[in-house]
This record gives sequence, structure tokens and C-alpha cells, in this order.
Amino acid sequence: MSRLYRTREGTVSAVDTRTQLATLGSETAPGPLLVPQGVSKLVGVRAVQNFDMSAATSYSALIRLEGPGLQEGPECVGIGAGGVPVATGGNGVNEAVTIPLDIPVIPANEILVFGEMCGTDVGSAEFAVTLIFE
Amino acid sequence: MSRTFTVEGDITAADTRTLLTTQGSVTAPSSVVPAGMSKIDKITVAAASEALANGAQSFFLRLGGNAVKGGEQTICISASGRIAPQAGSDSAPQIITSSVLTDLDIAVTPSDTLTVAVEGAGTDTGTARAVVTLIYA
Repeated sequence: MSRLYRTREGTVSAVDTRTQLATLGSETAPGPLLVPQGVSKLVGVRAVQNFDMSAATSYSALIRLEGPGLQEGPECVGIGAGGVPVATGGNGVNEAVTIPLDIPVIPANEILVFGEMCGTDVGSAEFAVTLIFE
Repeated sequence: MSRTFTVEGDITAADTRTLLTTQGSVTAPSSVVPAGMSKIDKITVAAASEALANGAQSFFLRLGGNAVKGGEQTICISASGRIAPQAGSDSAPQIITSSVLTDLDIAVTPSDTLTVAVEGAGTDTGTARAVVTLIYA
């Protein structure tokens, strides 16, 4: 059985606020992320985030998976943290992390993907999350 | 047995699907899946920005074309952020080593073509550069 990769991204601009990731770059309305036919589980997520460094503080980042496509209910996974000492002169790039999972899913049902910045408002953060189905 | 296919290119605008079609000195490498190969087993990928503009953006990969079974596959790569330094200061560079994604198991059709695109989503942080290697098995 081959694997299928589905991605959503979005901007999280408020602290401690569940923010749905519903776009895919140039696709501003890709529609619901449906569990593909022929798969039975979520074998991993690959996720990344970075922030615009417009406030001198620190934060942590997590993603939430919700919706009827998840047989056992919602999941939440921490994906990183960051901070900047001054709001004049931060710059950086970081790679996505792949997190192995084994979560049963229901084909043709939606999974909602959310990003959240936690702690202190650092400005805005850009999140991208890939769901890996098998 | 495995075979490799590498492409690279500039990502000059945010939220724009950008095809990677060159390979440095090779300006038009063949994107045909080699005969005898049935899947993309691994990918090495890196994307970073020159950071000439303030913002935050994420980069993701699009694998499409007739050769890719199950429709377009999208995989996130990296994310960059930047705020302007004080007057008279220089900004730090953005450097990232390629990520090696293993056990991908993306089904492909041999002797058919695929497309490799990278896109930066969010707020443009300046021209970015990406390089992608597909490792077939």
C-alpha cells in the first residue's frame, strides 16, 4: 500500500488561539482535507512553523487535528518553539519535523488542521502541516 | 536499485506554484520516471530565503504530473522568518541542510513524466531557493 501526502498551511496571528490551517499557498480554497479512499490510518505528520519576529519574546507551537475523519477523536502535537531578544534583526530558517503516528482514520471524512502559538504573542507565525496516510 | 532525479530553482513570489525545471548547468533534465522504478522511496529537499523582506513563510513541495498515482502529493519542507535589523546592522544568513525524507512510498508510473514544484506560503521574505532530489526505487 502506497502512502498519500496532503498539506495545509496558514498564518497564526493571535496567541493561545486555535487557528485553522485551510489554505495551500496559491490554492486559497482547496476545500476540506478529506481522508483519501483506500487508506486506514494516519502514519505520521510532517510539520513546520516560523515567525515574523516582530515582538521580543518567546513562544511554543503546536498543531491540533480534529474532525470526523479521526476515529478516536482529536489529537494535539507540539512541533517547536522560538524566541527573539529584540524586534530589530531576527532572521532564520528551520526544517520541518516528521512525527511518526499510528492513528486510525475514516475515509471520505474530513480532518481539520489547526495551528496554535502558545505563551506570548510573537507577532504572527506561519504553519504548514502534511498528513501522511497509508 | 535506486535512481536519482534532481531539480532546483528560485521561488520569487509567495503563494505561487513554481516549477523547478533546471539542474544547475543542466538546463533541461528529463523528468521521465526511469524504467523499472515504481515508487519515490526518498526525497532530499531544502528551501531557504535570501531574507530581504520582513515576514514569515512556509515552503512546501508539490509532486504532480501523469506519473504520480493518487493525485498531487504535497509535503512541507521548511519555514523562514525575518525582521529588519537596526540601521547600520547586517542581517544573519539563512542556511539549511537538506532534509532526508525516508520510507515515503509514493507510487509512480515508470516512463511517464512528473512535475516538481515548490511554493512559499504566507508573507514573502524575499527570493528563496530550493533544491529537490527524488530517489526512485
